[in-house]
Amino acid sequence: MFGEGLLTGMGVTWKHFWGKKETFCYPEEKLPMTERFRGGHLMFDHTKCVACTLCSLACPNQAIKLKIVPDAMKKRHIESYVHLVGRCLYCNLCIEACNFHALSWDKNYAISTWHKEEMDDELVTAEGKEFFNEMMEKAKAEAEAKAKAEADKQKNEGGDA
Amino acid sequence: MPQTETYTLSMGPQHPSTHGVLQVRLDLDGETILKATPYMGYLHRGIEKLLESRTYVQGVPYTDRLDYVSSMNNNLGYCRAVEELAQIEVPERAEYIRVIVAELNRIASHLVFIGSLAIDLGASTGMLYAFRDREKVLDLFDLVCGARMTFHYIRVGGVSADLPPEFAAKCDEFLKVLPEFMQEYEDILTGNEIFQYRLKGTSRMTKEQALSHNMTGPNIRAVGIPFDIRKVDGYGVYPKLAFDVPVGENGDNWDRYRVRYLEIYESAKLVRQALDGLPEGDFMAKFPKALRPPKGEVYSRTEGTRGELGFYIVSDGGPKPYRVHIRRPSFINLQGLDDMCRGMLIGDSVAAFSAIDPLMGEVDC
Repeated sequence: MFGEGLLTGMGVTWKHFWGKKETFCYPEEKLPMTERFRGGHLMFDHTKCVACTLCSLACPNQAIKLKIVPDAMKKRHIESYVHLVGRCLYCNLCIEACNFHALSWDKNYAISTWHKEEMDDELVTAEGKEFFNEMMEKAKAEAEAKAKAEADKQKNEGGDA
Repeated sequence: MPQTETYTLSMGPQHPSTHGVLQVRLDLDGETILKATPYMGYLHRGIEKLLESRTYVQGVPYTDRLDYVSSMNNNLGYCRAVEELAQIEVPERAEYIRVIVAELNRIASHLVFIGSLAIDLGASTGMLYAFRDREKVLDLFDLVCGARMTFHYIRVGGVSADLPPEFAAKCDEFLKVLPEFMQEYEDILTGNEIFQYRLKGTSRMTKEQALSHNMTGPNIRAVGIPFDIRKVDGYGVYPKLAFDVPVGENGDNWDRYRVRYLEIYESAKLVRQALDGLPEGDFMAKFPKALRPPKGEVYSRTEGTRGELGFYIVSDGGPKPYRVHIRRPSFINLQGLDDMCRGMLIGDSVAAFSAIDPLMGEVDC
């Protein structure tokens, strides 16, 4: 009979009309993200970073711009860590490259911005800056102490001679 | 005596049923199509060239963006080519995981085909049902690799991470509901008389025509040639798994739909077998981080969701490929559009186009 198939199809939609809803009300309701979810902003732990630049080298699209400053003891520190979100492929290669687990995703997927300029994301926080200054000061003091100790040693050696 | 002349109609590039940005110029005699010429290149991003300036490992996420509906299969094609070039032995567990994710992705991609075919023929409800069920596959992928679209899960030498512990149960659940929702498509679409009238007997192709255009994938199987690279080449662990290759009889749009529909069942069969036979072991091969394959060239092909997906890579011994060329099945299948459209009506060109199932990200590359 012509129309039988049409009616069968309508039967399916009729059944679903009274069935369980497949959708939910975003943004009032939000789904939790999975454990491995790659998205949102990068999170950077300044205490773990050793400034090896492996993350930036692993990036296929040069989305990570680093500013690395050597301290007085010639140890490298991160002064600025910029994640260019507009260039990011979310491929996870930077996170996998890090041997010290200093990087992770914050999983906050709603990251659209009004302006292109807002897309460049500085990951070193105020706390991180403070940590950086502290480390630099510490290294400076250490270097000065070391230089002083060496000078004293030379002086003593000179005195002995 | 009234005079008639042919009329040229430009369909696209901004047209809702061209699946992206494709322009088709239709030469018309009244409403009958005399000739259909596809014009491509609106989505060209130069991925082949981009791959030449990235290392082999860094190139994998770019292949996600080729055929973005079946990224796992693209990852697999590229990684297999690089592995062949660098002679990397992939652990067996990784091969099984690859089969699971690639076949799940084939299911997701064919669901998109069913959905987009339905909406192109005016059945918008059919589309919603197919996309609802595709979400179930995407949820599984989200669990496995943390992405729903550009997966970057299959890597050179294996896969990026082992399957999470809850995956097997969730995948099992999906395979259980698969026959249920497939039956719904049967009720809502396959049995629908309008759907049948639009597909049966339209855009018929002979075996010779399909072969002359070098069509592959479901498009060649629809004309009755059982050409499936998983069977022909038997790469990976596919020879160990049992599956059939569905073929059509008439080579019309209906057969193209039925072949893909039945392929979903075959893919589910493969996922089930791979899940059951999943061996223990490593998921990643050991190879130097700075990968430098020896000088040489390789052409490696896999069965993508849309046909033969081939990667031709030339290595000069450096860390980056010297040349990459991708044989994109969508691009080559689209050459058959002219033969499929001739003598049909304008409305049938949409059905023909949808039945080829091209994806513009892959066509323009």
